Amino acid sequence: MARIELVGVAKRWGNTVAVEDMRTELEDREFVAILGPSGCGKSTTLFLLAGIYAPTEGEIRFDGVRVNEVEPKDRNVGIVFQSYALYPNMTVEQNIMFPLRFVSMEATEAQKQAREIAELVQIEKLLERRPGQLSGGQQQRVALARALIKKPNLLLLDEPLSNLDATLRLSMRSEIRRIQRELGVTTILVTHDQVEATTMADRIICMNDGRIEQIDTPENLYRRPNTTFVASFVGSPPINLVAGSIRESRFVAGERSFPLSGITETAEVWMGLRPELLAVADEGLPATVATIEPMGREILYGADSPLGFLRFLEAAPLPRFSFGDKVRLATVVENVLFFDGTDGGRIDGASLNEFS
Amino acid sequence: MTAAVQDWQSIARRSTRLRKINFVLLIGFLTIVSIPVLLPFFWVVVISFSARTGGVESAVLWKACSILVPAVFAYGGFHLAVKSVRRRLIAAGALIAASTAGLYLTVGDDLHLHNYRFLVNPNLVEELRGAATAGGQFPWVWVAFINSLVVAAISTLFKVTIATLSGYYLSRFAFRGRSSFLQGLLILEVFHPWMLTIPIFLVIFWIGLLNTLAGPILVLTVLDLPFFIFIMKGFFDAVPWDIEMSAMTDGATRRQAFRYVVLPQVRAGIIAISVLGFIKGWEEYVFVTALRTGNSYWVMSTYLYYVADDVMGVDYGLVAAVSVFYMAPSLLLYLFLQRHLTQLTFGGIKG
Ligand SMILES: Nc1ncnc2c1ncn2[C@@H]1O[C@H](COP(=O)(O)OP(=O)(O)OP(=O)(O)O)[C@@H](O)[C@H]1O
Ligand SMILES: [Mg+2]
Repeated sequence: MARIELVGVAKRWGNTVAVEDMRTELEDREFVAILGPSGCGKSTTLFLLAGIYAPTEGEIRFDGVRVNEVEPKDRNVGIVFQSYALYPNMTVEQNIMFPLRFVSMEATEAQKQAREIAELVQIEKLLERRPGQLSGGQQQRVALARALIKKPNLLLLDEPLSNLDATLRLSMRSEIRRIQRELGVTTILVTHDQVEATTMADRIICMNDGRIEQIDTPENLYRRPNTTFVASFVGSPPINLVAGSIRESRFVAGERSFPLSGITETAEVWMGLRPELLAVADEGLPATVATIEPMGREILYGADSPLGFLRFLEAAPLPRFSFGDKVRLATVVENVLFFDGTDGGRIDGASLNEFS
Repeated sequence: MTAAVQDWQSIARRSTRLRKINFVLLIGFLTIVSIPVLLPFFWVVVISFSARTGGVESAVLWKACSILVPAVFAYGGFHLAVKSVRRRLIAAGALIAASTAGLYLTVGDDLHLHNYRFLVNPNLVEELRGAATAGGQFPWVWVAFINSLVVAAISTLFKVTIATLSGYYLSRFAFRGRSSFLQGLLILEVFHPWMLTIPIFLVIFWIGLLNTLAGPILVLTVLDLPFFIFIMKGFFDAVPWDIEMSAMTDGATRRQAFRYVVLPQVRAGIIAISVLGFIKGWEEYVFVTALRTGNSYWVMSTYLYYVADDVMGVDYGLVAAVSVFYMAPSLLLYLFLQRHLTQLTFGGIKG
């Protein structure tokens, strides 16, 4: 279908910068998620790709050809808006068939295709209704069907699952993934839900403040986050970041220090400890349990330690500790991350020798 | 525990009762205030069918109204109580039949169609006075009727087209001076159009449209535009932006997106301003008289005025009949489209 390239793309309105210096490449048939907090420029990126906005700077290429000047109607892009944007004056069937009005096709053929696509997203029983008479999940499927019917080069989904309840969201996730595989269409999914991004996408573009922080597979984003932003945005509950410095091959935070290797003297660093990799052990960092949050199958504890407040996760349905309990925390030292304190970038090759 | 349950029940009962009382009071109040508004209408209708040259028989008037007014209110009550369209139609039919029978029995002998002779008699005034009056060119009513129709319809067409397009533009495109333009539109509403009669007369005179129907058509169009543009902008503001963008990614041009997706959603606004615009043109008197010298053209309002002038004190019935004929189209328009007119507030408020 299509290979997509963004080359130094920026979009500004006067002094407001929505996105800046976007550089990336999407392989044909790839499923990519754009992940980032509210207002970071995710929708803007989609609108740039759809041609609704023209980039202030840079170039957008489809299959190697510059499309900056190509009108939205000629880009053959299917888009599902955050609000679904169904046409309230038309029935579901008319909504789905709308894109076919602009290609020469016989009415019976168009109707047949609409029926097929409606079956694909399982709304074939709702064709006569109007959007106002549909539930949120049904509207979302209609929007998806309408985006898919003209066999787009590129499918853009702007937080399509944010209005659904948890169960429906789960089933729609696998549904969308299945449809995407079946049709083999290059797809970009915008979301601020990292679970959605990690479960659905081949690769994730992590954005913050109009810039790309990292483009990587879900696993790498979690294991090797490039910046403190990615480290704290990906992974739930968020990573513990401990401020400190490196002196004489030791990470120093307050009165504590830990031996490490691979980093030279650095005035300011962050040490990143994943809550799910911190565990209670016989030996380790002394801490006092301060908060207990049962999360279903797991329990999230917060503890005061010499390194400050640390969260750790225990896979148990019932709490093992209560407020004020003294525990010792240990972690796998290879998984401890270090970031530069000034620019937030990951420091490669640093490894902790001992955590206690 | 039980006490609490009983409490809830009595509270619910009390609020239901209160709601009922409020509803009845409201309906009663509206009925009473509408009587002085509606009664003259009934009178005009009854007079037009019953008066003979020389005066109005007031006994006929009261008798007829005592049948018609209850019939109308009975229908109103029924309309509120019953939701099904078929039943409403049946009720309306039954009430019409009943009041026709009632009228026939009480005042049947006094009813006649003589006052409506102007519809078929092109030489009405000559017959009345034995000579042509009002400059000798007093026309047949259908000429005035067609002219009024032309003025109202063409000015409405202009108003609606321009207001819709500019409302869309004002709603969608941020251009320099948009807010001052909108403020300017509102300021125009401050001036009463009659204050502008003389300058308008001069302008129309200079461009050579005096004594043509084009004069009032243009003036009426321009006078209503600011308000109508404002209304339409409000309606377009209420149409989500992404629906339009969605249409464009679906393959529509901007114009097609407007036509297929945006326009159907402002239908209520277009119907509303069409009705208002049409009625304004239909009722216009000041500018149609100001922009003609002599009797170059006639419209319904001038026709009614001159009929009243010519026969004043002689033939109330004729004046009443012309009035009924004159107001029938606006009334029908209102009746058929009032459901759309009530939506005006929703769209308009957002402007
Ligand atoms: N038309 C516009 N004019 C000016 N600024 C805009 C416009 N559209 C977006 N912005 C700004 O650009 C930035 C990015 O907006 P965008 O809608 O892309 O965010 P987002 O990542 O989609 O957020 P959300 O998750 O809340 O949908 C925001 O700061 C926003 O205020
Ligand atoms: Mg968005």
